[in-house]
Amino acid sequence: MAVESSGSRGKRVSLLGVLEPVLFARPYLKKSGLSFSIVIAAGIISNFTLLLVPVFIGDAVSAVEYGIYSSIPRIALLIVLAYSISAAATFSLNYGGQYISQTYAYNLRKDFVSHLVRKRFLFFETQTSGDLLSRGSMDIEATRNFNLNMFTSLFPTVFLIIEAFILLFIISPFFSLLLALAVPVLIFLGIVSSRRQRPIWRKIRDTYGKLGETLQENIVGQRVVRGLASEEKEVDKYAAMTKQYYDENYEVVKVRVTFNNLMPLTVAAVTSAIIGIGGYLDLISKASVGGLVAAVTIFAMLTNPVSFLGRMIVFSENSRAAIGRIQEITASGGEEDVEPSDQSLQPGPLVFDHVKFSRGENVILRDVTFRAHPGEFIGITGKTGAGKSSLVNLITRYYDADTGTISLGQKNTKDIPLSILRSRISIVPQEITLLSGTIRENILFGMDVSDERIKEAARIASISDFIDSLPQKYETMIGERGITLSGGQRQRIAIARAVLRNPLILILDDATSSVDPDTEINIFNNLKEYMKNTIIIMISLRASALSFADKVLLLEEGELREDLPGEEGGNVNRI
Amino acid sequence: MSTGYDAIEDQFLKPEKGRRTILRMVKDILYWRRDSAVFTTSVVITAIAGVLYPLALGLAVNSILSRNVGSLTIYSVLFFLIYFVQFFSNRTMSLSSTKVAQGVIKRMRDRAFYNLQKVPLEFFSKVKAGYLISRIENDSESISDFLTYQLPQVISGVTTIIIAAGIMFYLDTTLALYSLLVMPILGLFTLVIQTKVRANYLRTRRAIAAITGNLAETIAAIRTVKAFNAESQIEDRFKLLNSENFDANMKATRLSSSYSSAIRVIEAVGIVLVIYEGSIALLNGQISLGILVSFIAYVQQFFNPIVQLSQLYNTYQNSMVGASRIYSIIDSSPEKDSGNVDIQKFTTSIVGRGMRVTYDGSVALDRVTVEIDKGECVAIVGRTGAGKTTLTNVILKFKYPDEGDIAIDLKALNTIDTKAYRKLIVPVLQEPFLFNGSIFDNIEYSKKGITKDEVQSFINNYGMSEIFRTLPNGLDSPVGEMGRNLSEGQRQAVSILRAFVRNPDIIIMDEATAQIDSKSEKNIITAMRNYAKNGTLILISHRFSLITLSDRIIVLEKGNIVQEGKLEVLANREGVFKDLYKRSVSAYVHVTGGS
Repeated sequence: MAVESSGSRGKRVSLLGVLEPVLFARPYLKKSGLSFSIVIAAGIISNFTLLLVPVFIGDAVSAVEYGIYSSIPRIALLIVLAYSISAAATFSLNYGGQYISQTYAYNLRKDFVSHLVRKRFLFFETQTSGDLLSRGSMDIEATRNFNLNMFTSLFPTVFLIIEAFILLFIISPFFSLLLALAVPVLIFLGIVSSRRQRPIWRKIRDTYGKLGETLQENIVGQRVVRGLASEEKEVDKYAAMTKQYYDENYEVVKVRVTFNNLMPLTVAAVTSAIIGIGGYLDLISKASVGGLVAAVTIFAMLTNPVSFLGRMIVFSENSRAAIGRIQEITASGGEEDVEPSDQSLQPGPLVFDHVKFSRGENVILRDVTFRAHPGEFIGITGKTGAGKSSLVNLITRYYDADTGTISLGQKNTKDIPLSILRSRISIVPQEITLLSGTIRENILFGMDVSDERIKEAARIASISDFIDSLPQKYETMIGERGITLSGGQRQRIAIARAVLRNPLILILDDATSSVDPDTEINIFNNLKEYMKNTIIIMISLRASALSFADKVLLLEEGELREDLPGEEGGNVNRI
Repeated sequence: MSTGYDAIEDQFLKPEKGRRTILRMVKDILYWRRDSAVFTTSVVITAIAGVLYPLALGLAVNSILSRNVGSLTIYSVLFFLIYFVQFFSNRTMSLSSTKVAQGVIKRMRDRAFYNLQKVPLEFFSKVKAGYLISRIENDSESISDFLTYQLPQVISGVTTIIIAAGIMFYLDTTLALYSLLVMPILGLFTLVIQTKVRANYLRTRRAIAAITGNLAETIAAIRTVKAFNAESQIEDRFKLLNSENFDANMKATRLSSSYSSAIRVIEAVGIVLVIYEGSIALLNGQISLGILVSFIAYVQQFFNPIVQLSQLYNTYQNSMVGASRIYSIIDSSPEKDSGNVDIQKFTTSIVGRGMRVTYDGSVALDRVTVEIDKGECVAIVGRTGAGKTTLTNVILKFKYPDEGDIAIDLKALNTIDTKAYRKLIVPVLQEPFLFNGSIFDNIEYSKKGITKDEVQSFINNYGMSEIFRTLPNGLDSPVGEMGRNLSEGQRQAVSILRAFVRNPDIIIMDEATAQIDSKSEKNIITAMRNYAKNGTLILISHRFSLITLSDRIIVLEKGNIVQEGKLEVLANREGVFKDLYKRSVSAYVHVTGGS
């Protein structure tokens, strides 16, 4: 939605479209009114004083021309003064511009992360992580860069042109008329250039994204690539994409060079006209050349900023595309309310009452009803793809049921604030993510409890012996930057993390699949012994694990049926 | 946290600093000989044209003063012509600089990607995927930016300074010396302040890298974050890094903005000096007014490149750090040469003797000797961390043993052509990685040219149709990034199919059926049994049901083989195997007894 609206806005006003990043930035710069005014003022002053210099130089030239050397010291002083004021104003401009752009980026990043972490589960299933990351880093940076250049280059250039016009008018109305003729040409060139470049930039960005995805897949799937001896195929695939990227970049530069260089050429044409025509007028009128020198120098000062306007078009294009992508995150919608609440949650039974859940067309759970009491150890089993994980994800409300109710302690889970609900339910998922940090930090995960309790949790998860065998014990760095843990060790750390919270419900989603049978037995025995007031729900396919459950439920055809107690002889073996 | 997110990788990859990176970069640029020649020529022409215009202006002024309409016309036309030449040279410059820049980064990316297919697999456990992606994707962009936009500025700046100085000295030596009087001050000032600017700049780089790193981790861990309701803690952690980044940038700006402002004042002094001295020289009749006008313009022209060059340092440094990192990826030593001995068929046996494998000092396999004969089905079991996966890595030629040797059909594995070997032996890996695309795409990846009907018949023969039944589009269903649209079991089923369609002589399954339900698994086992009649099967599994397939079991414990033999023998003998499978053994007896 957000993208569409920004897209249509872009189409409607193509000249003002350049300003779209400014409109987007406004809410992130609410308290920056003062710095905004300072920067604008600094931009005006800095350019004006700088433009005075050619006027003074022209005066100096005239003075020398007529031999009036006594005025030279005064002019020299004025030049130094003008430069000094300009220098001070430039400092304010650069520093203030940076301040605004950094404030903008700071607030935008904060907003981005705050929206991101609150997005619903479904959102993350439709996005690739590399893409989300590049929105949060490269895209934000692209818009910041444009905003910075807007304050330090674009606005000052506009002021520069206006001020140049005024000064030229004072020197000679004829010169200012020439500039007035040049300005529409410059604007026209800018618009055409930007229109032609836009579609190519879109393509380039897409290709860039694909390059990244291909690279990521290749790296993460290296063992598969090698195992299937597909290295050459992969190299060819990647080289074809880098070739495409090369071609598209060349395509855009072909458009860029013509239009962007026509801008300074326009300025040059006007300057030449001033020298030629203005010079001729001076020549016949025997007027001083000072004014001419001043005018030419003023135009020379315009050339560089005007050339830079061409690059601003590139920045603006990148920035506008980035805004669309950022807005998909920062626009509200699809978010969960996870704010803390002081409500409390009483222990009680977990009840599924005729729950139906589907994903798109696909009905996952048709009609699920069951009840679990504190202290009970429930096993849920069923075929691969039967919807076991979806079922437990409904309890934590990662997804919401289509119909039917789920209640905990006589309260509908929909009426329990998410922060309360999730803080009282611990889930150990199939895929374990550990953050880079120490083992302690990973088990705590934001909790603040005594070392004793951490150790106890580790003991219950049967990981304490392993941790004690490490030289730095609980302070050992793990995750991507630390030691590499086996699948089983990661699972056990995740179990310790879940146990530490002393939850009302503990969900083990195939959480011991990589743990060896001996250890698995230990963990289950510990859980039964220490977690007497917790509802334990375990998803598993293995009879050995299910045999620990007090009750085994079989998920089949989207319905849940109670099975015989999980001893070896049950229906479990049928699946 | 904020101290160098990439520090670990940099320690491992050891990117080279300084001169060697620059030389290599130059070599990479010169690889595009024609483009870089065109580029250099056009930059120099642009610069020369730029330097000539104050001269044309001065000459025009002189012709006005001398009331010469003819020469005024010539010089004002010349003035425009100079810009006209610049238009074309600028155009050529941008085109050629883009060609060079894009060419350079294309080659860098391709070479880095190529080498990633060659490095030992352990490389990927030491260097994060995020690091590699950000180097190859983002750092090469900063190199391209530098080459496209900044390098022309450097070359034209230097050219401008040299030519402008030349012209000034040619016009009037004394006045030229006066114009250059402020240069030493400018140079000294720049040198002193730049070291500080650099330090500041490095700080900002680290700060933004920390932000990106933190964001990447948050996205990767989003499920856990939600599960533990840790959203606000994540925000707090991020806020800290965000503020650090803000402060670092503002500090850097304070200094660099002060620098450019100070430069302006120095410039003013330079201009005033020229006006003073110039008017005296004019009074003495040494120079004309036109020359004085040219001089004033030249002094201004002088300062621009110097200010630009000093500001370029950041981007230059940025792209050089990026280049050195990409080079270090390109240079990472590839696996030992694969050897070139061809192998068409597996005929007798795979024999490994006294194989010892260590990872960073800890022993994973301790002088293990194994023999696997053609047609055998061998199960490798043991507790987590016993060395099972390491053993399969060695057999798969993913890893060479540090000591001992391994051979297939009496040919040492390290002399065998890896590509030929991979045709014989196909792994079904523990973590079933899928590429983004449809299920069929993933299977076709393994065997080019296979038809959907053929795949379907494989699915039917192996009894896996039930597993894919819930997918609305069957084989055409998209699997999503990393296969996330599929369940764990479905992913594994695809991964198994991918191996079977290749009809390999040997299949290694590393815990590949862990997430598949028993019924599907039974179908797979039946199919595997058929496969095992002619093929050779190596299984690694905790699951007892799979182990029952094997002719022989190898039990590993702490990197050693502690038991070896048939299932019936090991099941009745005290030892690690019986300890591990006490429950399963009884369940197994129960089930087989019941059916």
